[in-house]
Amino acid sequence: MIRKTSAFIATTLLVASMAACSSSSTPNAPSSSGPAVDDKVTVGVIAILDVAPIYLGRDKGIFHKHGIELTMQQAQGGAAIVPAVVSGQYQFGFSNVVSLLLAKSQNVPIKAVANGNNSTGSTSADFGGLFVKDPNIKSPKDLVGKKVATNTLKNIVDTTVKAIVAKDGGDASKVNFVELAFPNMAPALDAGNVDAIFVVEPFLSAAKAKGWKQIGSYADVDPNLCVALYFTSTQLMTQKPDLVKRFTDAMKESLAYAQTHPDEARAELTTYTTIKADDTKNLILPKWPGDIDKTSIDKLAGLAVTYGLLTSKPDLTTLLP
Amino acid sequence: MSQTVAVLKRVGLILGLPAVLVATWWFTSADSQEFYQPPLSKIVEVFPKTWTSQRIVDDVVPSLGRFVVGFLLAVATGIAVGVAIGSNRALRAFFEPVLEFLRAIPPPVLVPILILVAGIGNDQKVLVIVSGAIWPVLLNTIEGVRSVDPVLVDTCRSYRVRGALRLRMFVLRAASPQIMTGVRQAQQIALILMVISELVAAENGLGYSIVQFQRGFQIPEMWSGVIVLGVIGVLLALLLRLVERRVLVWYHGVRAAERSQR
Amino acid sequence: MTQAIAKGRTGAPPVLLGAAGLVAFVGLFEVLPRVGILPEAYFPTASTIGRTMATLVTESSFWVSFGETVQTWALGLAIAVAAGIVLGVVIGTVPVLRAATASTIEFLRPIPSVALIPLVIVLVGTDMESTLILVVYASFWQMLIQVLYGVADVDPVARETALSYRLGPWDRIRYLVFPTALPYALTGVRLAASVALILAVTGELVIGSPGLGHDIETANSSNSIPRVYALIVVTGLIGLAANLVARAVERYALAWHPSVRADVPA
Repeated sequence: MIRKTSAFIATTLLVASMAACSSSSTPNAPSSSGPAVDDKVTVGVIAILDVAPIYLGRDKGIFHKHGIELTMQQAQGGAAIVPAVVSGQYQFGFSNVVSLLLAKSQNVPIKAVANGNNSTGSTSADFGGLFVKDPNIKSPKDLVGKKVATNTLKNIVDTTVKAIVAKDGGDASKVNFVELAFPNMAPALDAGNVDAIFVVEPFLSAAKAKGWKQIGSYADVDPNLCVALYFTSTQLMTQKPDLVKRFTDAMKESLAYAQTHPDEARAELTTYTTIKADDTKNLILPKWPGDIDKTSIDKLAGLAVTYGLLTSKPDLTTLLP
Repeated sequence: MSQTVAVLKRVGLILGLPAVLVATWWFTSADSQEFYQPPLSKIVEVFPKTWTSQRIVDDVVPSLGRFVVGFLLAVATGIAVGVAIGSNRALRAFFEPVLEFLRAIPPPVLVPILILVAGIGNDQKVLVIVSGAIWPVLLNTIEGVRSVDPVLVDTCRSYRVRGALRLRMFVLRAASPQIMTGVRQAQQIALILMVISELVAAENGLGYSIVQFQRGFQIPEMWSGVIVLGVIGVLLALLLRLVERRVLVWYHGVRAAERSQR
Repeated sequence: MTQAIAKGRTGAPPVLLGAAGLVAFVGLFEVLPRVGILPEAYFPTASTIGRTMATLVTESSFWVSFGETVQTWALGLAIAVAAGIVLGVVIGTVPVLRAATASTIEFLRPIPSVALIPLVIVLVGTDMESTLILVVYASFWQMLIQVLYGVADVDPVARETALSYRLGPWDRIRYLVFPTALPYALTGVRLAASVALILAVTGELVIGSPGLGHDIETANSSNSIPRVYALIVVTGLIGLAANLVARAVERYALAWHPSVRADVPA
């Protein structure tokens, strides 16, 4: 009797949960349908300033014009986005250039399709910067032997910091890196758990507001530094080349739109991050050119080899469009 | 002759199923084109290159060090506080609801708070381990101390056995089977928390290495790290069982006698 | 003599003491941050946490996350319990199977479920399914071990009697294995439930699948510390409720079972 009751309860729970579970569906693969129905596409992004153009493109109907219905999924970093793109869970993804170079060198089947964002070119007014709190750290070479926070290891941030230190004459290999999510960096610097942090907007403005000194930026590496790209799996490229082309065109348009409508880009931020509208006014926006700056990517590849992330430069022609 | 057969049979039973499972994995993954599911042969291939003595010193040793410190701290504190609370009915009643609530909190959710409070160094990681591993020890100690044989209680009273002697010879010994149950659970939790504490804001460690392999898209190496972690889990459990056998040798004897009488 | 002392207990009844303990704990959390012994930035007062919780329960997104966590937990637990019972009974009653699987079980059981996290992220993704796998993996072993103990604990005399009376395997399971194994199975469910909740929340926290664990990480990222604490309290309450329910079910289902030893102060 008791067994029947408990078995019944277990079965009901199981069935009910499975029914409810199946309704929370995973995004389906885009259908090669006629012009009437948009292709459903999921893009993996990070909830930062850099991806404002794609959100803007969706909300302004640019993607719909190209027959694409966009859904964005937020992740902490490229580490989670790349596998999801490779497995087909996402159709496209956003990732920093260095992570993509690493992936390419390990033969991960991906290919970049569109530009993500670039440095503003101004070392004092860039959207990503290296900050210190200790007045004794006067220039980047003082960071030798110290701890620097980066959002993920082996990405563009730690490569940039190493380049900044090397440019100033310090030994880049002697800088220690700790992985911390962007929001946790300011409290860590405040408490003295790290000696320097490299943050991007909106955290950059917050760091400036605290009166911390900026001693480096993306622009130090290259004034046109390409920071991130949108990419897809090689499988999708062979199976649905038309979809990829439409996505690329829509992305270029969205980037151009964001570049010419900075205030709308700022307003867009409040829809996908927890930044308040008032705080968006003074944020430094990255550059959003439609074309990929191959020179700076080549430079990054060289730096990655110098710092031991890569054994040799990958073939950029297979990675970039 | 029959002894050889018996030994062979024993070995066959122990190794049989595992061998079949490993072989199945080997052959089904051999042709794998999936980037994230490398063939087992590849994983085995990268093992010696990845787990060099340098890496063991740089990553595995710090991880295990933090584990041992956190685990022992949790056990010592748990037993000490548990005996104090468990011996007094009023204290037990006073603390029980609060302890039940605190132990129900999944330890990993405290990590963000602990990072704020204790920073990102070894102290914080040990604190994470203790914050989760202490509960099974504490609660099982209270339970063990609470429910000792009343005959033994009376005997101690009659013989006027008190104080430290009573604590060592009677209370701790009588409660030790229950305490060891708690210690076993604490070991599992401590290992889990050791890994979790290294997933965020870490500079070295086994969990950290696994994450770094994933970041660098070195997938066979990542799999090898997971296997190493599994092996360490098994070895620790075995080690604890040996300790338990030693500590509870009297208890196992009593139980065996009971069972043979049945 | 001991019984008389036990019956003639003086002092406050346990329920009052327990309530006093809770009040003291909450009070400590109210006073220490105010006084400054605990920095208020990292330790909001109990009243702040309470107010944040009151706001939380009005948000529909909270209840959605709550539902996600409970769903992952319940589904994972159900699968683990069902698999544990079926496999436990089958393996436990067939001695050859028991011997053949012993080494595999002893090897797989201590593998920490968190070791699977990187694998599950790259193989399955960052949705509910990944966390579900973690939950099932961890709780299954708890359940299986307990059921195996239970099946092994069958009284040999009773077993031989059943065989003499030519009870078939199904009847043996019903009348012999089931009553003996039930207390163990219920302990198994209680342990599995506790582990399942921990893994569900951990999975959401680390992998990022939807649920309360993910909300805690989001709140942490926005530096909304009172919210982090409020969510932590909620997960603690869920765990507490689950534990109480499991114990109540155990007491009800085992009302016929010879009870455990009396409560006597050491």
